Amino acid sequence: MNYLPSDYLPIIVQLVLALGFIVITMLVTHNIGPKRNSKLKDEPFECGIEAKGDARTPISIKYFLVAILFVLFDVEVIFMYPWAVNFKKLGLFGFGEMILFMGLLLAGFYYIIKKGVLEWEK
Amino acid sequence: MVYDILYFNKHHTSYTIHHTPYTTHHTPHTPYIIHQDFKTMADKLFYFLSFLALLSAMMVVTAKNPIHSVLYLILTFFCLSGHYVLLNAQFVAVVNIIVYAGAIMVLFLFVIMFLNLKQDDEEAKTNLTKIAATIVGGTLGVILVAVFRKAQLGTYNPYSFNSQVGMVENLGEVLYNDYLLPFELASVLFLIAMVGAVMLAKREVGDRHF
Amino acid sequence: MLSIILLSIFGIVVLFLGFQKSKNILLPATLLCIAIAFAANFVHWNDAPGLYFKEMLFENRLTMSFSAIVLLSAFLVVALTRGFADDEAAQPAEYYAIILFSLVGAIMMIGFDNLIMLFLGVEILSVSMYVLTGSDKRNLRSNEAALKYFLMGAFATGIMLFGIALLYGATGSFNLTDIRGYVGTNSFSISTLLYVGLLLVLIGMLFKVSAAPFHFWTPDVYDGAPTVFTAFMSTIVKTAGFAAIYRLLSGSFEGIYNFWWFTLAAITILTLVVGNITAVYQQSFKRMMAYSSISHAGYLLLSLTAMTAQTPDAIVFYSLAYSLATVSAFGVLMAVAREKSVQSHENAEDFEAFNGLGKRNPLLAFVLTVSMLSLAGIPLTAGFWGKFFIFGTIVERGNLIWMLIVAILMSAVGIYYYFKVIIATYMKDGETGALRVPPFYRIVLIVSTTLTLLFGLIPKLLS
Repeated sequence: MNYLPSDYLPIIVQLVLALGFIVITMLVTHNIGPKRNSKLKDEPFECGIEAKGDARTPISIKYFLVAILFVLFDVEVIFMYPWAVNFKKLGLFGFGEMILFMGLLLAGFYYIIKKGVLEWEK
Repeated sequence: MVYDILYFNKHHTSYTIHHTPYTTHHTPHTPYIIHQDFKTMADKLFYFLSFLALLSAMMVVTAKNPIHSVLYLILTFFCLSGHYVLLNAQFVAVVNIIVYAGAIMVLFLFVIMFLNLKQDDEEAKTNLTKIAATIVGGTLGVILVAVFRKAQLGTYNPYSFNSQVGMVENLGEVLYNDYLLPFELASVLFLIAMVGAVMLAKREVGDRHF
Repeated sequence: MLSIILLSIFGIVVLFLGFQKSKNILLPATLLCIAIAFAANFVHWNDAPGLYFKEMLFENRLTMSFSAIVLLSAFLVVALTRGFADDEAAQPAEYYAIILFSLVGAIMMIGFDNLIMLFLGVEILSVSMYVLTGSDKRNLRSNEAALKYFLMGAFATGIMLFGIALLYGATGSFNLTDIRGYVGTNSFSISTLLYVGLLLVLIGMLFKVSAAPFHFWTPDVYDGAPTVFTAFMSTIVKTAGFAAIYRLLSGSFEGIYNFWWFTLAAITILTLVVGNITAVYQQSFKRMMAYSSISHAGYLLLSLTAMTAQTPDAIVFYSLAYSLATVSAFGVLMAVAREKSVQSHENAEDFEAFNGLGKRNPLLAFVLTVSMLSLAGIPLTAGFWGKFFIFGTIVERGNLIWMLIVAILMSAVGIYYYFKVIIATYMKDGETGALRVPPFYRIVLIVSTTLTLLFGLIPKLLS
C-alpha cells in the first residue's frame, strides 16, 4: 500500500469547508441581527447567580499536575502506535521491549497513585 | 530552491522526493516527472504553508495578549504538520497535532492562567538589551540564510528511493530495532518528569486548597 | 553499559523505598546502589573497546574512567546528604531517585555513539537538575534559580537540537562514525550545514558546562540551589559535559580541527578571564565557587582546544581532581552553614562563615584548606597535577603558547581568591565554640581529602 500526500486532499477540503462555515456564520450573525446593549444584557450569564470578582484568579496547582501527567502518558501512548502496527513483525522481542517500557512507566503511575496525587480531596 | 519538491511518477504507484540542487546546473530532466501540474501545486502549497508558518510564528512573538500567542502557536504547529504531510511523513504530522497542538498547548494555557497577567507590566528591557538582541538575532539569521544558500544537499537515487519511508510501519521498524536503547531510556526521562512534577507541585499540608 | 541498566532499576527501587515508614534506610540503599553501579562499570575493563545496542553506546577505558569519576562524585555527594532526614519538607526518596536517574543521563552523555543518545542524555541530566534546583520549595531563591535554569537550559537544548538536525541534514546520519566518515571522505566539499550544525551543538553543550559567554545562569543557579545539589551540579554535570564534548569533537570532527579550534580557543580565553576575574569580587562563598567552576571549565576547554593524544588523560585527571576538591569544599560549607543558619538566616554562606574555623574544628579547616589548595593548583595536591597535565597538552600542540600564558596568569588570579578562604579560616577571629560534625560526614570529607593528597603525591596512580 502506498500512501501519498494527495491522500490528504479530502481533509484539506473538509478543513476549508468547516472553517468557511464558521467564518461565514459568524460574519452573518454579527451583521444581520439587531444590536441592543444594556448593562444587564452585557453581564455574563451564570444561571441566575450574580457574577462576582474576576475570572483570572489563581487556580489550584492540582489542575496543572493532572494536565502534566496527562501529557506524559499521552506521549507514552504515541509510542505504541508504531509498535502496534509492527506487532507481528517485531515478534516476541518487540513485545518484551514494550513490556519493559510500559513496566517502567506503570511503576511511575503506581507511584503517582500511591502518592495520592489523583485524589482530589486530599 | 532549497526544498524537496514532490513529484508524481507516471504510474501513480510511487512518488519520489526530488532534490533540486540550487548550485549545480543539472536541471531535473528525469522522465518520472510527468505531472507537472501536481508539482506546481505542491510547490504552491509549500510556499503558502511556509508563509503562514512564518507569519504566525512572528505573531506569537509580537502579540500583546499571551492567549493570542498560544493560538498563533497552534496555527504554526498546524502549518508544520502540513509540511510533514507534504514530505509524506504522515505519522509525524498527526502526532504533532495530537501532542503539540493538543496537549502541550493546553499546558501553556494553564500556565498563562496561573500567572496573573492582568496588570500590564511594562517590559523592563533597556534599549541596550533590545539593540544587542537585535544584533545577535540578526547575525544568526544572516549566517543561517547564507549557509542555506550555499549548502550542498545530498542527492538521492530515484530508483532505490522508498517514498514510504516516513510511514508508521517503517518508523516503527527503525524505532524498535535500531533505536531500542534510546526508546527504553526515554521512559527514564518520563519517570524523572513524573517524579519531579509530583515533587514540586504536590500540595503540602498548609497550602491553599480549592 | 551495565551500569545504565542497573541505575534505571535502582532509581525505581529507591523511589518505592520512600513509602516505607522509616526514612533511614534510604541513604544506605542509595549508596549501595551507586557502589554496585560503580563496580558494574568496570565489568568490561579488560575487553576491547566496543559498541553496544546497535551502535548506540560506546565503551572503552576512557568512557569507563569518566563514568567512574561521575559515580564516585555522586557517591560522595549523596553521602553528604544526611541532613535530609531531619528536614520535614524534604522528600528524600524523590531526591535520591532523581539523582540515580540523572546518573543514567550522565553515563549516556559520556559514552554516546549516536547523537540521539547525546540529546537524550543531556535531557535526562538537565531535567533532573532543574527539579533538584527547585527542590527547596519554600525558598524563593531556589524557585527563581530553578526557573532561570529551566528557561535558559531549555533554550540551549533547543539550539543543540537544531544543530543536530543540521548535522543530520549534512551527513545523513546521527552516528558518530558515519559523520566521521563523511568528514573524512568529503574533506573538500563538506556541506556548510555541517559547520553551522557543529557550532550550534557546541553552543548547547558549552551552555551545560557553563563556559563564557554562556555562563550567565551559573552564579544564580549555584547560589539558589540547595548546597548539596550545587555540589552535585558542579561535579557531575561538568564531568559528563566535558566527556561528551570530547567524544563529539574527537569522535567525529577531528578532521576539521582547523575549523573549530579558533572558536573554542576564543571561548576558552573568555571563560578563563571572566571566571577568574569575577570570582575575585564575590562576597558569598557559593557564588565564588560558581565563578570558580566557570574558570575550571576554562582549563578543561584549554585541553580540548589542544586536542592532542594526551587530552583524554588530562581531562580525566583534571575532572577527578576538581570533583574531589569541590565535593569537600561544599561539604565543609554545608557543615558550617547548617550550624550558622540555626542562629541567623543571613549571610550563612559568606566567607565570614569560615572565620575562626581553624580553632573551632581543625579537621574541617584542614579539609577546606586542602580543597582550596587543590582548586588553586598548588603542588602536593591533585589540582596541581591536573593543571600540569592540561598545560602539557597545550605545550604539545605547540602553536598555542599564547593561551598557556593567559591560563597561567589566570591561575595566579585564582590563587588570590582561594587563599582568601584559607585566610578567613585561620587568621580571622570568628565565633568560638567547637563545631560538631557527624562521624559519617567526617569520613566522607577525610576520604575525599585523602584522595586529593594521594593523587597529588602519586599522580601515576591513575593510569
